[in-house]
Amino acid sequence: MNKLKIPAVLVLAYLVLPLAVNGNDYVVSLIVAALTIGGIALAWSMLGNLGGMVSFGHAAFFGIGSYASALLTIKAGWPVLVSMLFAGLVAAASSIATMPALRLRGPYFALSILAYAEIFRIIATEWKGLTGGAAGILSIPRLPEIMGIDLGGKIGGYFVVVTLVIAMVGIYAVIRRSPQGLALKAMHDSEDATRVVGVNATMLKALMLVVSAFFAGLMGAFNAHYINFLEPDYAFSGSWTTLAIVAAIFGGYRTLWGPLIGALVVYLVDQLVFKAILPQGHQIILGALLGAMVLFSPTGLTPLIAKLTRLQRKETANAAH
Amino acid sequence: MFELFAQSAFSGVLAGAYYALIALGLALVFGTMRVINLAHGELVLLAAYVAYSAENKLHLDPLASLPLAVAVVGLTSIAVYGLLSRIKKDRELNSLILTFGLGVIMTNAILMIWSADIHSTSVPWHHDAIILADLLFAMNSEVFFGVAGLVVVAGLWWWLEKTWYGRALRAVASNRDAAKLMGINPQFTEILSFAVAGLLASVAGIAIYSAKVIQPSLGHHLTVKAFIITVLAGMGSVPGVLLGGMLLGIVENLTVTLASSALQELAGMVLFLVVLLVMPSGLFGRVRRRG
Amino acid sequence: MLHINGLTVTFGGLVAVSDVTFDMREGEVLGLVGPNGAGKTTLFNAICGLARPGSGTVELMGKNLLSMPIHHRARAGIGRAFQVPQPMHELTVRENLTVAQRFGAGKVDKAKIEELLDVLKLGHKADMDAATSLALTEQKALEVGKALATEPKLLMLDEVLAGLETTGKRAFLDTLEEVRKRYRLSVMIVEHDIETITRMCPRVLVLNFGRLIADGSPDQVFNDPEVIRSYTGGEPA
Ligand SMILES: Nc1ncnc2c1ncn2[C@@H]1O[C@H](COP(=O)(O)OP(=O)(O)OP(=O)(O)O)[C@@H](O)[C@H]1O
Ligand SMILES: [Mg+2]
Repeated sequence: MNKLKIPAVLVLAYLVLPLAVNGNDYVVSLIVAALTIGGIALAWSMLGNLGGMVSFGHAAFFGIGSYASALLTIKAGWPVLVSMLFAGLVAAASSIATMPALRLRGPYFALSILAYAEIFRIIATEWKGLTGGAAGILSIPRLPEIMGIDLGGKIGGYFVVVTLVIAMVGIYAVIRRSPQGLALKAMHDSEDATRVVGVNATMLKALMLVVSAFFAGLMGAFNAHYINFLEPDYAFSGSWTTLAIVAAIFGGYRTLWGPLIGALVVYLVDQLVFKAILPQGHQIILGALLGAMVLFSPTGLTPLIAKLTRLQRKETANAAH
Repeated sequence: MFELFAQSAFSGVLAGAYYALIALGLALVFGTMRVINLAHGELVLLAAYVAYSAENKLHLDPLASLPLAVAVVGLTSIAVYGLLSRIKKDRELNSLILTFGLGVIMTNAILMIWSADIHSTSVPWHHDAIILADLLFAMNSEVFFGVAGLVVVAGLWWWLEKTWYGRALRAVASNRDAAKLMGINPQFTEILSFAVAGLLASVAGIAIYSAKVIQPSLGHHLTVKAFIITVLAGMGSVPGVLLGGMLLGIVENLTVTLASSALQELAGMVLFLVVLLVMPSGLFGRVRRRG
Repeated sequence: MLHINGLTVTFGGLVAVSDVTFDMREGEVLGLVGPNGAGKTTLFNAICGLARPGSGTVELMGKNLLSMPIHHRARAGIGRAFQVPQPMHELTVRENLTVAQRFGAGKVDKAKIEELLDVLKLGHKADMDAATSLALTEQKALEVGKALATEPKLLMLDEVLAGLETTGKRAFLDTLEEVRKRYRLSVMIVEHDIETITRMCPRVLVLNFGRLIADGSPDQVFNDPEVIRSYTGGEPA
């Protein structure tokens, strides 16, 4: 069953879904946005799950990635795909500035990252020569055409983002199984035991932060070229963080696919259902969802469903006897 | 030039007392439960909106709406406690996420009830200027709440240090199990701290409504301010909150005077990070190993 | 190979380890005994970095341990088994050993992990959750296993035999003896059972109220009047 999972996901992602929604630009753009948020949620979950750190400032890395890629293509004339990758690196590099915060725990870390996000946003607003200030940047180059597929179109953008997030899941899976990932997982409850066998926790956490920032930055870069427009309040908006946290908690931030599934469910339901019912303040449902998940199923939806199906299977098995 | 400095220092001190009002509730709850209530700013904002409704529907002066605000916000605050106390596992992380979610709920509830419009009091007295020593300018409400901030800080400090309830609160904060043995019901003191935090948030909310403008997205902002001040103060230190608030107020006002108002927030954030990273126990806190 | 000089650890007003000085030779098996609260675990903590000494020096093969962060000490050759077993949570038994090996020994050697699983009789539980599915003996075996996986020069065992019944204890002792010889280890072992100590350790140190009150062969030490007094509850002279 597990062996079938990966091909099934790939077929679903590259064949079924695009065929099902192609032509409906609105739905495609919603799915692209959901996957973009899913990418941030994944980046956020890596840090939370393996690093044991809650960040309220992942919008910082997202925003930096957006601006870096936009500026590299516009001011330096770099090709879009190269810029995106490099923008991820810029975001990763910017996370070095936040590393002193790694000494801090819990709420201190969470909110100091938020402070960094604010600082980065203000810099983007005030450094008008580079970023165009509050007015923003218009006409950011589109994604290119490759092998006859226009990546700049709606469905092309979908293929790019789905490839990015699946690659991220793959890398995350490798990290989780590596000794580094295992050590980080163990740190959570067994700090002393982990340290005395030679694990340098601070270093590993720093590495996790760099990887997480890279992924968030990459999503930002993609988004910049997908919507072709940036302004500081948008690129550094706290909503990127809020939505990602809700998605990750909802889907299960300790699982591999949970953050992505959570993002798809939460964002699509929010946009298609809640927004229709409550044009103003529909995010109230997201808050309620977050609270309910923490109280009733802190491990998230994916593990909950797994548990329920296992129960059900057991019951069917029992009934059969 | 001197006048500018004097004015910004004066405004900073007044702002500081008002900032302290915002932060006290957060610091108190952190002191008793080791929980950062990320919905605290929204509680403050809720009080401000209660004052707004009281003024428009009941024609009350913002100051007179305090009992109503205390009732609404106090109960909400206790409800927050009710939810928080249900967290079983991983309290540090889950309480952050839960209160963050509650903040989102409250922000959106405020948006739905009161719309996204900007409001401020229309009682003229609050916005009238007073001029001290021919030099320093302030609004009545700013001076009033600056003084009120001082009084509330002193009152809270007295309450914590000198009354039985306050001592019980501090006992629970420092050692929950030992407090139990002394016959203190930790749950009761925790509810008490949330109730008092609600009271403090109410005063702060009315101060904001009287002296500033309010809008639904302000709550998150207030939480961040409160957290910054609490860190500057050193977690759990009540007099420190006042000094931390004033430091932030003065730094922000000087930044506006000397540089630009666009950098006001930046100055606060940088101050916060520098203190957090260089002096993790805060400017005025006791030295305590964290974690 | 291990030189400890004037080592003192205090907690607030309590002096848990007081001016302790001793040397240990390569290949030695050193017993560490003393009444409850004597400071044995704290001494271990000071050596491996979990407690910060107020004064004194600790040198392992010429290297100053006290200036190293905890994780470097594992690389320098310290392997520590905890008194209360501390498996790395959320990992399987094999993963526990893998992490210890990767970070403590700086290499990945699957054959060595299998060998350890085999020697410590943990093979049948290798892929089970270490924190929840081990019996006490197995937990203790994993404690030793994690320490061994870091390829230590000095193996520090804190009451790894406590709580085991007689046959289990004997089997475990044999296992320990086997790994000691196979990996040519120096061993420092804390143990309350005098018979075990007498069998295993040619040399015994006695701690009482943090002070080192005796150092010698089991015969000498256990007949020392001060040691006897310390076990019958007397204050230090
Ligand atoms: N982290 C700590 N903080 C405060 N006091 C401590 C700490 N660790 C140990 N102590 C105290 O130091 C003293 C020595 O404790 P230690 O655990 O080293 O004794 P021990 O010899 O290992 O005892 P046992 O045989 O019971 O394991 C005890 O009084 C203990 O209460
Ligand atoms: Mg001990």
